[in-house]
Amino acid sequence: MSKPKPSPVDALLPLPLPIFHMLLALTEGERHGYALKREILQRTGGKLNLASGALYGSINRMLEQALIEESEERPDPHLDDERRRYYRITPLGLRVAQAEAARLRELVQLAEDSLGFPEPA
Amino acid sequence: MANARKLYGLLLKLFPARFREEYATPLERQFCDDYRDLPNRGARALFWLTALADLAVSIPKEFTRELRQDIAYSLRVYRHRRTSTALAFVALALAIGATTGVFSVMNAVLLRSLPFREPQRLVELSWFPQPPFQGGDVQFRAWRGANPYLDDASVYVVFPMNLNTGREGVRVRVAETSANFFETLGTEVEFGRPFAPGEDTPGSDSVAVISYGLWQQVYGGDPRVLGSTIRLSGVQATIVGVAPPSMDYPERTAVWTPTIFDIQRLPISVPAWHDTTIGRLKSGVSWTRGNQMYQAEMHQRIGDRRLPGTPALVPLQEQLAGHVREASLVLMGIVVSVLLIACANVAHLLLSRITERRQELEVRSALGASRGRLIQQLITESTLLTLGASIAGLAVAHLVARLASVVEPVPMASQQYTVLDGAVLAFALSVATLTGLLFGVLPAGLLARMQPAADLVRVQPNTHGVGVRRVRGTLIAIQAALTVILLAGALAMGRNFLVLTGTDMGFRTDHAVAMTVSLSGTRPEAQKSQRQFYEEVLDRLRAVPGVESAGAVAYLPLTELAVTGTLGFRVDGDPIEHGASLNYATPDYFRAMETPIVAGRDFTPSDAAGTEPVVIVNQEFARQLGGDVVGRGIRMTGSKTNMRIVGLVRTARLFGPAGPAVPQIFLLASQSVPDFLTYVIRVRGNAVPYVSICRDVVRQLDAEVPVYDANTLEGLKGNTLARARFYTTVVSFLGGLALLLAVLGIYGVASFSIVQRTHEIGVCLAVGATPRRLRAMLLRQSLIPVAAGTLAGVAGAVLLGRWLEHLTVNTAPLDPTACGIALFTLATTAAGAVWKASRRVVRMDPMSILRAE
Repeated sequence: MSKPKPSPVDALLPLPLPIFHMLLALTEGERHGYALKREILQRTGGKLNLASGALYGSINRMLEQALIEESEERPDPHLDDERRRYYRITPLGLRVAQAEAARLRELVQLAEDSLGFPEPA
Repeated sequence: MANARKLYGLLLKLFPARFREEYATPLERQFCDDYRDLPNRGARALFWLTALADLAVSIPKEFTRELRQDIAYSLRVYRHRRTSTALAFVALALAIGATTGVFSVMNAVLLRSLPFREPQRLVELSWFPQPPFQGGDVQFRAWRGANPYLDDASVYVVFPMNLNTGREGVRVRVAETSANFFETLGTEVEFGRPFAPGEDTPGSDSVAVISYGLWQQVYGGDPRVLGSTIRLSGVQATIVGVAPPSMDYPERTAVWTPTIFDIQRLPISVPAWHDTTIGRLKSGVSWTRGNQMYQAEMHQRIGDRRLPGTPALVPLQEQLAGHVREASLVLMGIVVSVLLIACANVAHLLLSRITERRQELEVRSALGASRGRLIQQLITESTLLTLGASIAGLAVAHLVARLASVVEPVPMASQQYTVLDGAVLAFALSVATLTGLLFGVLPAGLLARMQPAADLVRVQPNTHGVGVRRVRGTLIAIQAALTVILLAGALAMGRNFLVLTGTDMGFRTDHAVAMTVSLSGTRPEAQKSQRQFYEEVLDRLRAVPGVESAGAVAYLPLTELAVTGTLGFRVDGDPIEHGASLNYATPDYFRAMETPIVAGRDFTPSDAAGTEPVVIVNQEFARQLGGDVVGRGIRMTGSKTNMRIVGLVRTARLFGPAGPAVPQIFLLASQSVPDFLTYVIRVRGNAVPYVSICRDVVRQLDAEVPVYDANTLEGLKGNTLARARFYTTVVSFLGGLALLLAVLGIYGVASFSIVQRTHEIGVCLAVGATPRRLRAMLLRQSLIPVAAGTLAGVAGAVLLGRWLEHLTVNTAPLDPTACGIALFTLATTAAGAVWKASRRVVRMDPMSILRAE
């Protein structure tokens, strides 16, 4: 008997941190690559600064895994250079991000049960 | 800023094609945005560092990813075209394997350095005049000391001898050398010491260095061996050293002893020999200069006396490689040709795929997939195939190396042919990569010519298939040319080999066994009872059940010592023009060999010592003398003994079927007893079991007497033919493979072009052309490149014929018949293949074809 196949969502977990961050950023709307980098830098208080190669490597991988897709529509053309490519999250991407969040929550729960709730420093 | 941008842009080119295409622009742009904001030089330096670190991680990562995807895609493609892929794979594996195998031989013999100090400066002095063997040490040392082009020189000669270690007798090769032999070569002894200066002076105590193998085998690696005594054909010598494992120069020697200038000290069982002088070129002297000086010196020494060859300083490695050097180069040429044919087939495979997928590729290309991407995919596909094939090819290479070591025994133990060698593996890998790249890039080059926009509007199969067709035509022509060359070579060699095996050698090799015993240094010799011993052995052999007849001879045909130097004779006062080779035989030897006695009689036991000496001569002897010989008196030049010719026998081919006919004269062994004899025993039924039975007969009589070279005559014949058989088999196999590959290529191309031209054929059929006429047209068109290639091939075959002579001594040059047969074979099989491929036309319905358009 063959093993039951994991669902496509489970197969992608756990998500690498940069990808999780990118998915989170994309839930708020379409972004181009550079904007994603900026936003993640800001969200993590400067701790996660994605280098360009790593950034586009992750984007490439997310596109292949169909977590995101390229957006056809452009925001206001006056505001933007049309050579930039915009990405948006797919329904699968959203489900994967949710599943990752749930996974992390369980993990934190487990940690709290054993360690107690630490006071923020 | 502009420079930084340019540099970064260059670095981005290192990304694999797909990634580069998608993301190079945003990456570069982002780089510029960030770079512009940097305040000072320090910040810029730091920024560069981060950027480089990022690229160092991402580039390999993206490469692996795309490679994985390309490989997965290639495997899917190959699964889809299983038969043609398997065929290309097998062809490549065989071709790469054969090439690598031949390279392993070249690597061992020509490239791997010898286990001596600065081996590239070691030379052999060809045609150097022999120093006097008795007491020549002073003269040799004086010559060596004053030599302007050699740092050092040494002289040796190798003899087989009986070695007695106090346990049992074995036959080994003994090198009699000058004392500085190890010093000249620059090889240390494993332990103990080499010979001391002056130890080669006649009258010194006998010392010996033994080989590592002998030390292990006879003394079990016991270090107390130093100082112990061995007997070389009865003469005592003290072991002073053990040679390192890699040292068995010259000629797989087991014992070295510095007795070259005292040659009478050790009994020698051959009547003639030739010594070899080696030297080390002075470090300031170039090869050219050294050679000039040597030749000048030789001219001075020998004046205008003609030598059979030109005196020269030959690099030792080249001298050791001998004929293998040319043979391996010729063989390399042949296997590379087959490799090219196999490569052409892979190219056909890839080309068909491109043409099939043309529309898909064009659509993708129109949608923005770059050529770079497609080329990357194609190169991955071809390299994957060749790499896989080269791994399988290593097994083939291993087999080739093993076969080669049987046919062309290595000159030194350290030159073992092996595939597991860095250089050989690197060679296999480079061949695979090169062929993969070559045949990935070639089809990719065709892609470059595609004009996507025009083709999308209306697919016109005929207009731009021209490039592909031209390439395929060229490939077919090359295949045809190489195939004709190989086939013609294979045919010529095959026919020669058949002639060889069918040649009457003057004796029969089936149901017979041979073995040699040497009495020098043994008890029967000491007791002066050699003759009784030989006769006792013969009597006992004849008593063995199943033995029909037994006799003995000193120099048996098909062995290394089949012939000795020629001596002058006078028959009734008339000199024999070229002299004759001397041999010793017992009664019944010719019966055991089944050599017909043409006239007169065999020796009989009554021709014993004391009566008038009798001899038997062979037909070649009689031919050179002219007229009847039986009954005439004969005398060796310079001897006073009159002998009587009592018999005339058929001439035996001493070196096997390819060898020349040598005039021989047989003395009765019991009238002049040689110190070794080879017994020939003719038996009923299978001869193989009698090899050990006969050997035991001698052992039971005296265990100290070494019995060696025991074999069936059939086995001896096989050895002399081994080289011819090997090269014939290899060339025939490769010729056959080439033919198969070429015909498959032609078939594939023809059937493919018919599919491509379905529309055109449909139109022709619709306007009334008969399928038969169409097929004839297709046949004509397909055979044009074959014909062109074949003609080039015939020209090549004429050239190749001369080279084939390097493989076996007896290969006749390529004749018109072989070329004609090769040409005919290729032409008919090619025509058959095309005709078969065009069967499809008959089944075509013009209406449905045109409707489909």
